[in-house]
Amino acid sequence: MNRRDFLKASAAASLAPWLSACEQTPRWQRDAYTRPKRSQVAILAAENYRQPLRDVIQRGIELCRLETRGKRVLLKPNLVEFDPNGVINTHPALIEAAVDAFKSLGAREVVIAEGPGHRRDNEYLLTASGLYDVIKEHRVRYVDLNNDDVRLTTLKSGFTHFRQLYLPETLYQADLLVSMPKLKTHHWAGVTLSLKNMFGVIPGSVYGWPKNALHWAGIDGSIVDINSSLRLPRFAIVDGIVGMEGNGPLQGQAKNSGVLLFGTDLVAVDSTAARLMKIEPRKVKYLEMAGEFLGNLAYERIDQIGETIDRLQQDFRVIDTFADLKKLV
Amino acid sequence: MQEQALSLLLSNQNGDGGWGAVGGKHSNTEVTALGALALRSAGADTAAIDKAQSWLSQRQQADGSWPLNDSAKGASWATALALIALSEVPAQSERALKAGNWLLQQAGGKPGLLANLILFVTRQKRAVRLNQDLIGWPWTAGNFSWVEPTSYCMIALKKLKQKLPAEPFQERIGQAELMIYDRMCVGGGWNYGNSEVYDEKLWPYPDTTALALIATQDWPQRNENQISLRTLHDLALKTDSGLAIAWASICFDLYGQDNTAFKDALAQRFAKSQFLGENKALALALLALGNGARYFRV
Repeated sequence: MNRRDFLKASAAASLAPWLSACEQTPRWQRDAYTRPKRSQVAILAAENYRQPLRDVIQRGIELCRLETRGKRVLLKPNLVEFDPNGVINTHPALIEAAVDAFKSLGAREVVIAEGPGHRRDNEYLLTASGLYDVIKEHRVRYVDLNNDDVRLTTLKSGFTHFRQLYLPETLYQADLLVSMPKLKTHHWAGVTLSLKNMFGVIPGSVYGWPKNALHWAGIDGSIVDINSSLRLPRFAIVDGIVGMEGNGPLQGQAKNSGVLLFGTDLVAVDSTAARLMKIEPRKVKYLEMAGEFLGNLAYERIDQIGETIDRLQQDFRVIDTFADLKKLV
Repeated sequence: MQEQALSLLLSNQNGDGGWGAVGGKHSNTEVTALGALALRSAGADTAAIDKAQSWLSQRQQADGSWPLNDSAKGASWATALALIALSEVPAQSERALKAGNWLLQQAGGKPGLLANLILFVTRQKRAVRLNQDLIGWPWTAGNFSWVEPTSYCMIALKKLKQKLPAEPFQERIGQAELMIYDRMCVGGGWNYGNSEVYDEKLWPYPDTTALALIATQDWPQRNENQISLRTLHDLALKTDSGLAIAWASICFDLYGQDNTAFKDALAQRFAKSQFLGENKALALALLALGNGARYFRV
């Protein structure tokens, strides 16, 4: 045992009685959440952004039996920052295809909304990323969630010091919130997928940039508290056509993965996405916490539809701090 | 373009006198402060200006701070902008001074002892390259100091320099300037306030670069200012954004440099996008095209 392991073991031993006492009090209101007995996650192959992605998305939606007719759909891509040489954001071709797919499936309205984590300059981000062209061509409304009107909501979980959170008014006007993250590793959280993507709904005007109050309160707990506070139905479409490995979410390397994931249980989608990255979801702290009450983390509780994990699995590198995530259980 | 931008900004003014992020959104302090200044610089109808100033003055809280808007009522970072707006109105000088004294009391936080202890014990490498002992101003109370809120506060306080108690002013501004220079990106310019993560360099943004330069305009000859001015010049003219170009234009005006290219670029950008109808960009463009840089002179 080296010095670091010894210190970790000593700390764990001394904290164990206190932690077990804490565990007796659940950190969420038991009557507010019902974890599904089983969850479905669709894994579909998509080689590149030039292929007709609308058909793939429509198939994913249909495989998950998502009801879209007459719904006001809010697409929440990841548009945290822009680097002309990087693969930071959800690809605009995929967002465009999602707009098309939801409209084709009878959605009453499709809105694109994001509260970028780093930049305050929407015009730049939208133009540089190519999303502005999509918005213009499809006459879709874009809402800057960082500067939207806000409404206070009381949390029913307590993984941070927050007891209430201000949420954008636009969220309350939607029937379905679609999280569209990029398949990426993350230097603070391990991975960033459909749950972590919800950082972007938190208004920067209230909580600062780079969503600083959330990092200050603890990134893992914040991810869980934000997701537990969103009470509208959700769906995930994960952009893994080209993902990011290494020092994500901004400065990692592109990883061609050729995959899209879909599902209504965001915990199940993210744990499946982690498995596709050869990352152990039970070792991702926030996934483990969310798996206690928000959705299914265990492989045995998830029905995989479409492709198999084995066929499309890729080995995503992580930074040294998260080396433990690569030890699959 | 000025007329069109002014007309759009006026048509987006809410009945209560303020502005939200775009037309139809509730008024907030940040945009209303900039909107009030923009109307003044554009020589707009005094009734519209009075309504905007009145929105601001009615919302100052007892401690001198301003809330973000009528929904989020706690003290906010936007106080510095309200101060800048009202410091231009002689009848509101008491309000501005009260806000200045409130700002002097606010400070960014530091990572706790426990976080540092864990780093030390586990011999983990620091992920970011910055001096966490240098304190500026945070976005939200007690959080870390970042470039944009620190810059706003520096500009606001420097405008009130003669009226504020000398010792805390010197102490806070001196440290904030060190913080700003510490956070500069390699090669010049600033992003939100982190120049490096895990040995990878992060890149500067035009808007925050302009703001940091405006906040340190009284040090024009410093090497950091000089190289960052060059960075800003190259960056802003390549950026498709009214917000970025407007801040850059204001900055070069304050540094006594030719900003004609930025004014031309602003007009071109407005013709293409109307700045997405964002009231903040419209207000900043009017400030840049008119004589609005003077409101940010310290």
